[in-house]
Amino acid sequence: MFDVYCREFKLVTHDVGIMLFFIFLPFVYPIIYSLIYNPELVKEVPLVIVDHDRTPLSRELVRKIDACDQAHVIGYAADLNEARHAVNSHKAYGILEIPEGFARKNGRMETANAVLYGEMSLLLRYKGFLIATTNVMQDFSTELMTAKIDDIAPLAETVMSGDPLPIDNVSMGNIRSGFDSFIMPGVLILILQQCIILAVGMAGGARHEGARLTGYDPVNSAPSVLLTMIAQTLCYITILIVPVIFMLHFVPLIFRFPMAGNTLEIFAFILPLVLASFGVGFTFQALVTERESVFVLWVVTSLIFLLLSGLIWPLYDMWPAWRALADICPSTWGVEGYIKMNANGASLSQVGIPYRNLWILTAVWWVAGYCARRWVVRPATSARTGNRQAV
Amino acid sequence: MKIGDRGVKAIMLRSMVQIVRRPVYWTGFLMLPLFLFLFIGSMLDKGLPTRVPAAIVDRDGSALSRGITQDLGGMQMVNLTHCAQSFSEARHLMQKGDIYGFFLIPENFQADLLAGRKPVITFYTNMTYYVPGTMLFKTFKSTAVYAKAGIAKNVVQSVGIDAENLASVMMPINIAARPIGNPQLNYGIYLGNSFIPCVLQLMIMLMTVFSIGQEIKYGTSVHLLKMADGSIFKAMFAKLFPQTVIWVVVAFFMTSWLYRFNHFPMNGSWGWMLLSELMFVLACQGFAIFVICVLPNLRFSLSVCALLGILSFSIAAFSFPVPSMYTGMQLFSYLVPIRYNFLIYVDQALNGIDITYSKWWFIAYIIFMLLPFTLLWRLKKYMQHPVYVP
Repeated sequence: MFDVYCREFKLVTHDVGIMLFFIFLPFVYPIIYSLIYNPELVKEVPLVIVDHDRTPLSRELVRKIDACDQAHVIGYAADLNEARHAVNSHKAYGILEIPEGFARKNGRMETANAVLYGEMSLLLRYKGFLIATTNVMQDFSTELMTAKIDDIAPLAETVMSGDPLPIDNVSMGNIRSGFDSFIMPGVLILILQQCIILAVGMAGGARHEGARLTGYDPVNSAPSVLLTMIAQTLCYITILIVPVIFMLHFVPLIFRFPMAGNTLEIFAFILPLVLASFGVGFTFQALVTERESVFVLWVVTSLIFLLLSGLIWPLYDMWPAWRALADICPSTWGVEGYIKMNANGASLSQVGIPYRNLWILTAVWWVAGYCARRWVVRPATSARTGNRQAV
Repeated sequence: MKIGDRGVKAIMLRSMVQIVRRPVYWTGFLMLPLFLFLFIGSMLDKGLPTRVPAAIVDRDGSALSRGITQDLGGMQMVNLTHCAQSFSEARHLMQKGDIYGFFLIPENFQADLLAGRKPVITFYTNMTYYVPGTMLFKTFKSTAVYAKAGIAKNVVQSVGIDAENLASVMMPINIAARPIGNPQLNYGIYLGNSFIPCVLQLMIMLMTVFSIGQEIKYGTSVHLLKMADGSIFKAMFAKLFPQTVIWVVVAFFMTSWLYRFNHFPMNGSWGWMLLSELMFVLACQGFAIFVICVLPNLRFSLSVCALLGILSFSIAAFSFPVPSMYTGMQLFSYLVPIRYNFLIYVDQALNGIDITYSKWWFIAYIIFMLLPFTLLWRLKKYMQHPVYVP
């Protein structure tokens, strides 16, 4: 076994393709990804105003909305057509229309209505507008209400000075409600899983092609299938230790993602994820007959794993068939557990179910991987070796 | 095919035979893209997740607090699965993943409220899961605001304001939100229209590079060039044309899958959208050829295409808007064809605005198509002397 370990180590470190997966993917990819979303929040989205009223009240409403973090008033349009032109030319992403008689209605003790039209290509922009207008609406309403009550019934204001029932909200885990802190911890786990599967798959493909193209020794799996698998796994894990620590500990540190968990417990949790990914990788070798076809066959699955992980669409609300598919992916449980530990500060015992499932998956995928290696990969390899010797 | 057969037709035939003979080709050309169309479509079929599991922590147990609990339980978006006794218990449930948030009513809530001591209602949402977290936030907030309004109403009535003025006193200003084009805030419309074409871009780029790189890897590129009488233009055109046909069929199927079968909004003209998809296919192929011209090594160029293709899901700004990104990153979002596909979809299908607003996006497609012509000579050099680097 130690022999295989050493030989594999030498082979892998000399294989640029596989080293790219082990070094480039875990070191560079998370950084690029995190940089894209690192501003976390969508702020100052351009908004255009159509004010048919032009009164102090309507101007104050606009000023208050402009003062919000989420919205930025780029200017007044004369009518709705001009405002639509601004939106169509991608200069603004929302229109606030204040009808004529806005202030008059307010003076007459009627509700004064305004309308916000949102451009819906991105939900985050609309969400920002919605939060801004709701907050302004509530604060402004409370202000006006207090003044009005004072007018109607003097002294009554003392009864309800200010807010009778303050409402407070706390975002847990991702305290800034940022986009980077939401998506990246899950993506890190997906990158880890994909990097292992792609590398193992490529190594399997190399075996098929033989020494002519790659300089690989195709008789590598000589001693016993299981021992070779274990030796290879140990060898890859040796190479992966530093990248994994970088990815799961230092990337969150650099980009200030929530880090509430116990580091050692997190790595204990990651171990079965890594092992299960190797199992998937060995199974995947059955389908790979060429080094480069791993790209064609596997890269796009990242998206499938992302959608199945419950990050985008919650697991409890998934179609039963997709839910079942999600259950057999190591990443689903890995993402769930890692996020809970890293962001919500859960202990290993609290993520007991994902942890147990990861170990079950490890066993299942290793059995599948063994079968693939024993009955698909090895016969093919030895057949090719045989042919070559005959030639 | 006879040995020595030359010309465009012969290369096309050869290219088709290659596609038919190897499973990896039809998996990449048809099975994977079609599976992903179906998968993404059905995953986001419901529009929005409803009934988010949540807990209530009622530390008061009074008539008023029970009323609030009942109101909350009646909301569409929330499913009150747990009733926790304390903050710690609820937090524990959240850490285990049983709930996505909880609503806390403090001790002596009713008594404090009636005495004017201003008790605080607090709600906690787990924002590590954005969609359910946001849904809960919205529901919790409206429940709290309704509760507050009920109380304010009592106070206002008690000071002698008559019922007919009540509504305007309570809500002097109202801003109605009108989400144009996606009134139900359907998550599928927003993700499906961007993710599905992005899958297509990834597969087109990978398959184009893969099929050209294979020629170099196995040294058959020399023969291919000979068949094309030494013309790299002829060779590339004839080799890729059958693939273009397959991709265009897949892309047109995708368009009908999105706008007809999934009923995503199509407020503009089908003609422009189909033209956009056609040009998108050509732009992706052009971009892929450009990549392999720059890096005529199968694995390197595949790695680059895979990296760009997967990164496109983020960098093309389907969720996080470009102006909010760092300036350095903004530039990159305009370097992938899918960005223009997305912008055209927004203009033409979602918003249905005049085509002149989208003209630049179509011009960008043309630039992608022309890109490879600048470097084809380099590819030719490598095809004449193929070297395989593992």
